[in-house]
Amino acid sequence: MKWQAQIDEHQRRKAKAQAMGSPKRLQERAADGILNARQRIDELVDAGSFHESGLFAVSELPDMAEKSPTDGAVDGYARINGREVVVCAQDFTTLGSSSAINNGRKTIHMARAAERNGTPFVYLSECSGARIPDIMGAVGMGRIGDGLRFNRRRIVPWADALLGQSFGGGTWVASISDFLVMRKGAIMAVTSPRVNTIAISEQIDPEEMGGWRVQTEITGKADMAVDTDEEAMEAVRRFLSYLPSSNAERPPVEGVPARSGEDARKILDLVPEERRKTYDVRKVIKLIVDKDSYFPLKDRFGRSLVTALSRINGKSVGIIANNPMFKGGALDVDSCDKATSFITLCDSFNIPILFMVDVPGFLIGIEGEHKKVPGKIMNFMQALELATVPVFSVIMRKSYGQAYINMGGGRSDEMAAWFTADISFVDPEVAASIVTGAHPKDDPVAFQQAVEEYSKACSPYDLAGQYLAHDVIDPRETRDWMIRVMDAHHRNRTSGIGEHHLHTWPFTF
Amino acid sequence: MAEIEIKSEIAGKVWLIEAEAGATVEEDDPVIILESMKMEIPVVAPEDGKITEILVAKDDPVAEDQVVAKMEV
Repeated sequence: MKWQAQIDEHQRRKAKAQAMGSPKRLQERAADGILNARQRIDELVDAGSFHESGLFAVSELPDMAEKSPTDGAVDGYARINGREVVVCAQDFTTLGSSSAINNGRKTIHMARAAERNGTPFVYLSECSGARIPDIMGAVGMGRIGDGLRFNRRRIVPWADALLGQSFGGGTWVASISDFLVMRKGAIMAVTSPRVNTIAISEQIDPEEMGGWRVQTEITGKADMAVDTDEEAMEAVRRFLSYLPSSNAERPPVEGVPARSGEDARKILDLVPEERRKTYDVRKVIKLIVDKDSYFPLKDRFGRSLVTALSRINGKSVGIIANNPMFKGGALDVDSCDKATSFITLCDSFNIPILFMVDVPGFLIGIEGEHKKVPGKIMNFMQALELATVPVFSVIMRKSYGQAYINMGGGRSDEMAAWFTADISFVDPEVAASIVTGAHPKDDPVAFQQAVEEYSKACSPYDLAGQYLAHDVIDPRETRDWMIRVMDAHHRNRTSGIGEHHLHTWPFTF
Repeated sequence: MAEIEIKSEIAGKVWLIEAEAGATVEEDDPVIILESMKMEIPVVAPEDGKITEILVAKDDPVAEDQVVAKMEV
C-alpha cells in the first residue's frame, strides 16, 4: 500500500497516546475500582461522541516527549444527552497529570472554545500539582504565568468532578467551577501534604486538610461527595441537565414525570401546627417539585438553608428554602454564603428562583459578628436585588425581620403566603421581653399581655390585605400556584435571558 | 470503620435523647433533641452508622459545636 510507513507510524503514535501512562499505575487503579481518564470520559458522555483534541501533544521538553502522552490531559468535544460539551480529563498515570506548559495550553484552548461556542465545560480533576523541572526557573515560571488563564465569567456552565488527589491546577479549576462533586477518598488542596511538610514543617493528614468531609461540611466548596467515579459522572450529567448550554439560552424543558405532585396533600402532615416543633423542609420540597427532580447542592453545608435545583412542570427552578430541622431555620454566616452562591448560579444561567420561607431570623451573636455576618447578609441581599431572573416566594410559617426581606419579601415577582404564615419583625415573645422588660417568671400577666399584643396582625391575610403578598394559599396548592405564576412571569420579551449582573461575582464566598 | 464526632450546631438544653449507645442510625436521624430558640431542634447523625457514646444527659446545657455523641461510620 502507498504510504504504508506513514500509516503505521500514525497508528503507532495514536495507540501510544491512547494507552496513557504507566501500565503498572493503570493496573493498580483498575484493581482499586478507580477509573482512568479515558474510562471516565466514556462513562460521562454519549457513546461514541468523544472527539479528541490534542492527542499528539507531549511535554515541551524533548527528552520527556516519550514519557508524556497527551501531556497528561485527555481533552476533547463530546455530547451528553445529545448536547454538545467540552470535556478535559486529567490523566494521573502520565506524570501525575502535573501542570506544565503544553497541557496548560490545551486547557486554555478548550475553555475558550467552550465559551466561544456556548458549550458547557466539564473538567475531571486529578493533579499532583505543578511539574518540576518544567516550570522551575524564571523562564519556566514566566511561561506558565504568561497570558490570561483564570479570567472566567459565567458565560457557559463549568462542572468539575474531583476524583483523586488534586493540588495546584486541578484544584484551581475546581475552585472556579459552578458545580463540584468529589469522590470520597479524593483530596482537594492548594498543595500536597508532602510539600506542606517540607515547606512549613507541618505534619498533615490529607483527609483533614482537604478530604470530602472538609470540602462538603467546613468549606462548602464541594456541592456533594459520592462513593465512585461512576456516581460522580452521573452527578455531572444531572447537574448539566438543569442548565442551559450557555447564558444565551433558557434551561432545557423536560417531560413531566407521571405522578408528579400527587402527594401534595401530605404537606399538611409534614408541617407541624405547634410553633416549637420543627420539620425537614426537604421532604416538603419533594412533594412540590416534579417527581425525582430534587437535586440539592451543598446539602451538608450551611444546613439551615436548602439550595436545590429541581423542575416544576418540566422547567428548571432553583429552590432556596429555610430548613427548621437545622438551627431552627435561622440564617447564619454559612447559609448566607450558600444563598449568595446559589443566586449567582441561577441568575447567571436564567433559572427562576423559588424561596420557601420559614425563618426565625439571623443567627447572630459574637461569633457571627466576628465572621462578618452583616457583610454576608448584605451580599445575599445585593445578589437578590441584582438578579433579573423571575423570583417567587412562598411564606410557609415564620418570616421575621431582615430575613423576611432576604428571603424575597417585597421583591418577588409573585409572592404567596400559606394560611399558616406568621409575619413580623421578631417573635412576639422576644418583642414582649424587649419592650416591657418583663420576664415571664417575674410578671407573667404583663408578659402575656404584651405577647398577645405583639401577636396581633401577623397573619397572611394582614399582609395580603395591603397587597404586600399577592395571594394566600392552601399549602396543598403550592405546586399548582407555582406552575401558573411561572407561566405568567415568562419573560418572553427577552426570551427568558436575564441581564446577568452577577456573572463575574466570586466563585467562593 | 472510623469514629466521628456528632456536634451540636447550636447552643441549647438537652430535651430528649433519641438514640442510645449501640443504636444503628441513618444519616439525618435525630440523636438528641435540644430546646433552643423556643424550638425543639434535633442534633442528627451526620452519616449512616452506629452510635458508640452519648456524652450528654437530659437538661444539660450544650454549647455551639460541642461534641454530644460519637458514632462509628
